[in-house]
Amino acid sequence: MKFRLFVSVLCAAAALFLAAPPLAAHHAFGAEFDSNKPVLIKGKLVRVEWVNPHSWLHIETVNAAGEKEEWMVEGGSPNSLLRRGVTKDSLKIGTEVVVDGYQTRDHSLLRANGRNITLKDGTKLFLGSAGTGAPDDPH
Amino acid sequence: MRIQVFVLAVLLGIASGLPGQTPVVNTSLAGKATTSKSFTMPRTLDGHPDLQGTYDLATLTPIDRPAGQGQTMTSEEAKKREAGQQKRVAQGDAKIAGDRTAPPKGGDGSVGAAGNVGGYNYGWLDPGSSYNVVDGQIRTSLIIDPPDGRMPPYTPEAQKRIAAMRSRANSDATESNDPGLDKTPGAYDDPEARPLGEQCLLGFGSTSGPPMLPDYFYNNLHKIVQTGDSVMILTEMVHDVRVVRMNAQHLPSNIRRWLGDSVGHWEGDTLVIDTTNFTSKTRFRGSTENLHVVERFTRTGPKTLLYRFTIEDPATWARPWTGEMAWYATNGLIYEYACHEANYALGDILRGARERDREQGAAKAGK
Repeated sequence: MKFRLFVSVLCAAAALFLAAPPLAAHHAFGAEFDSNKPVLIKGKLVRVEWVNPHSWLHIETVNAAGEKEEWMVEGGSPNSLLRRGVTKDSLKIGTEVVVDGYQTRDHSLLRANGRNITLKDGTKLFLGSAGTGAPDDPH
Repeated sequence: MRIQVFVLAVLLGIASGLPGQTPVVNTSLAGKATTSKSFTMPRTLDGHPDLQGTYDLATLTPIDRPAGQGQTMTSEEAKKREAGQQKRVAQGDAKIAGDRTAPPKGGDGSVGAAGNVGGYNYGWLDPGSSYNVVDGQIRTSLIIDPPDGRMPPYTPEAQKRIAAMRSRANSDATESNDPGLDKTPGAYDDPEARPLGEQCLLGFGSTSGPPMLPDYFYNNLHKIVQTGDSVMILTEMVHDVRVVRMNAQHLPSNIRRWLGDSVGHWEGDTLVIDTTNFTSKTRFRGSTENLHVVERFTRTGPKTLLYRFTIEDPATWARPWTGEMAWYATNGLIYEYACHEANYALGDILRGARERDREQGAAKAGK
């Protein structure tokens, strides 16, 4: 219901003065991911699903026991990335990435939200030239 | 960028204080749109204005006017706020530590729809970079009537109805606003108890409409195609097409549609679209299925349309209300938004709920 969203928007606007939270999405992140299961994933991209409503990056990593694991990391819609000039060629398979986020509440899944997705040196991914196809500045 | 973009426009308004000079908005609803000088109206073969093209609705102007703001803002004020937005984008795109650790256990302190686990980097987003301009005025809200720029108050009946809806699983909400976990009974019992956006049935807020509004997040593109007897409007997110039948009668009242039944006609050079026959699930800001939306499209320049919408639903608001915004043409392409293709999130949410059910069952059994 829009009313709930509206209330939530006002609360969030007020809270912004105190904290600067990462971005939200249209689905229940809080129900999907477990705030008690923070994860740091370091590894190589093995597959990227450029699909809606959310992109999923597959990352091969090695767990504490020395075993290979494949984690899936949720990002936003790929459409806006395309508008920033990012294509599947920009994000090569084999790229070393670092992701911090939270694991899904179902711990049998190796999935997490891509709270921050960066290259090894901390450079944010997906930095294209902003404004591709954007409307003219109206004033 | 660590900003909750749903609230960006609201925030910018509040954070920047009051504009010093506030030219008066023309709230006349006579339907006359000001067109650019030295502009020749492009026309289709049947002589009507050619509205066809792709438009990007992304804007910093919020739907409702932030408290304490005037009706318009000066160019200096707008530039200042837009620079603030550019700065936020730049900060969001900035490099962070490569050797960082995992976020804190118990959550990272985020608020809003992402809950305590955060969202994702700014690079994914396209919430808009400038304020909307109508009649040469830089607007602080899309709503122009009531003159305070805010949706009128709900009727007592609507307040009761909305309160009752809030106590049920929010399958009729367009998007999730769980600041963590939704405590509403049954909220995670099955896919159909989830918000329409999460089910990939409709976009954020009112992107598909009507009224078709910005989501202040991303994918705000719309494409208009005209033929002799129909006007089609494609909304990128979630890939909905409205087919407006020109000079036609509305469907019988027992036929209900997610996006309502739209019929159109021309009033001079303005396309007027009248929409009724909504389902009881498509609740625009808590409206009933008797919502009545009138939209007016007028080409005002080579790259701009004026979009004006009037909302009427006596069971929800004691008076009709109206908003307007410029739609800016873009050279960008509309991309497919095949929402079901990889909607892993919905499955993850329901699996998470089943895990909690098991844990709670085990806790009860252990007592």
